[in-house]
Amino acid sequence: MKQLIVGATAVALAAFSLPAQAEELTVITAGDQNMVDYVNDYLGPLFEQQNPGTTVRAVGTGPGDAGSQKILERLEAQKQAGTDKWDFDVAVVHQKAAGDMVKGELLKSYRSDIETGAMVSNANADTALGTDVKGYVMPMFNSQTAIAYNPALVPNPPTNYQDLAAWVKENPKQFGYNGIKGGMSGVAFVVGWVYAFGGDTDVLQKGPYNEEEMDKLSGAFDSLKQFNQNVALTPGNAGTLDMLSRGEIAMGPVWVDMFYSWQANGQLPPDLKLVLPESGMPGQPMYYVIPAKAAHEDLAKKFVALATSPSVQAEGIVKKFNWYPGIDAEKVKAQLDAQTWSKLFTDISPEQLAERGKAFPIKPYFDAILETYERKVAN
Amino acid sequence: MSRRFIGFALVLPALATVTLFFVVPLLGAVTGAFQTEAGFGIENFVKTYELYRSDVLFTLLIVATATVVIAALSTAIAGYLTLGSNALAINLLRWLYRWPLFIPFIVVGQILRTFLAKNGMMNNLLLSTDLITPLQTTSFLDWRGIVIAFAWKQTPFVALLLAGAMASLDRGTIEAARNLGASRLRILVEIVLPQVAPTLMVGLTLSFVTMMSVLSVPLMINAQSPTMITADMAFRINAYGDYGVANALGLISLAMTGIVAWFYLRQTMRENAR
Repeated sequence: MKQLIVGATAVALAAFSLPAQAEELTVITAGDQNMVDYVNDYLGPLFEQQNPGTTVRAVGTGPGDAGSQKILERLEAQKQAGTDKWDFDVAVVHQKAAGDMVKGELLKSYRSDIETGAMVSNANADTALGTDVKGYVMPMFNSQTAIAYNPALVPNPPTNYQDLAAWVKENPKQFGYNGIKGGMSGVAFVVGWVYAFGGDTDVLQKGPYNEEEMDKLSGAFDSLKQFNQNVALTPGNAGTLDMLSRGEIAMGPVWVDMFYSWQANGQLPPDLKLVLPESGMPGQPMYYVIPAKAAHEDLAKKFVALATSPSVQAEGIVKKFNWYPGIDAEKVKAQLDAQTWSKLFTDISPEQLAERGKAFPIKPYFDAILETYERKVAN
Repeated sequence: MSRRFIGFALVLPALATVTLFFVVPLLGAVTGAFQTEAGFGIENFVKTYELYRSDVLFTLLIVATATVVIAALSTAIAGYLTLGSNALAINLLRWLYRWPLFIPFIVVGQILRTFLAKNGMMNNLLLSTDLITPLQTTSFLDWRGIVIAFAWKQTPFVALLLAGAMASLDRGTIEAARNLGASRLRILVEIVLPQVAPTLMVGLTLSFVTMMSVLSVPLMINAQSPTMITADMAFRINAYGDYGVANALGLISLAMTGIVAWFYLRQTMRENAR
């Protein structure tokens, strides 16, 4: 009996003296399943290796602004409830939601506390669709949209929107995009159309917002309505890629990273190519953010610092996922072999990317463009 | 007094659940539909009319069409199960027709996305049997795909209800009609169906309400405009964070199902009054 008590006490003491830093870091991410897999399969194990005793777990909230909206609502709910420690430590969100989160005072300013904070000079690390987010975000990657085409069916792809419109008129239903519902690739195409056919792209991207700018765009929406008569509408990002691979359409707007990843997986024929129109198409970063009352603040900062370090950006972001890096490309180039680096730039050269890669318009214009599309083009 | 109290206490958990998780959010949605940036008003409904009136009509037409198709198919299936003569065929049908019951709507959407596409499985099958030429293939990924999805998923449910109702009929009426030489189709339409009409109505009402609430199928299958109300509600929240118009659309959807549910209630009360 005495031995039993002694034995039990020893076990209890041993159990309570386990390392106190058995902490769990919770990462919540918007975006497709590949974003969750990135943390679960690559970043999480790497972080756990470097910080023994910690576990990383990732939760996904779904693709597009919808997923980011859910994270925003979760933060708002916890702020309203007045809880002391919020239930996740790091979030990965889109630009729109990040801007709203900063405005709602839901985030912690941390960029100056990590050493990779100084490695990013792109303007999109300081402003998100017109909202000042400096210090609250670190870009995880930069994505870009472009038009994918089948060289067998389109030997001379159009290089600007005007030629594209003419081509579509002669080849009805051979161009497909998803409108503005169901995927951001279609939204990016519409924004690119607006940039090409009307308005001042600088004002649309940087502000200020005034109603006259939207009036100037009405001609662009009328021509878009005409354009839509001859296109095939797809259900979303994956829908466009599916139809391209089945040969049902010859051209369509896609995310560059999805395009290359699908080709690597054998889901898309290897002979498809990309073209970026002269007037540009938008791309967007996704941001790492830390909630204002995160339970594991220091661990969260370490995690973001690791995720934005040049080696992880090279191996994880560029090599694995075919995204453009979130920090400055120069810092990452040194960590990559020439072949991987140039793979991203086969169809779209770095100069073209620098010149034609645009940002989405600021939120008031963005919302107004979407609503005008609904009112004029879709109705 | 104490018996009434016990009765009330037994009902209380269920009542509380319904109140907390259904009535309170419903009231929230109803008041939310009238909340605009400038206080209470009907701006949300004005915007809904401007942007989404064709979608509301589309939703009504699609769901009504699907309901009619479901009525026809489930009557045919239940009718054959009751009146059929080939035992093997009956057993096979009874085993087969219930499978779609276990498949969620989102899986149905995914299946049909590749089945009904222009170069999808259905067209490839038809091509291989030379029934159509490659130039004649069309994509069914529009309103027809939605109707097919709804009909495929909901028919087993209504057929199940109907088959049960038909099985509990007095076979005397059917036998009498057979003796007088009526064909089986005539028996189904003139003798059996009128007797199971209340069950059919209930099944169709429940299907109507279910189909109005589905988001996955229109999102996955129907790429174009017009689309269903549920897709617009999701878009409104995710793209604009606009709960006002989303709630207004929800209220309209509620009104549509409310009218149909009124029939269900009327039927139930009639039955209970007997």
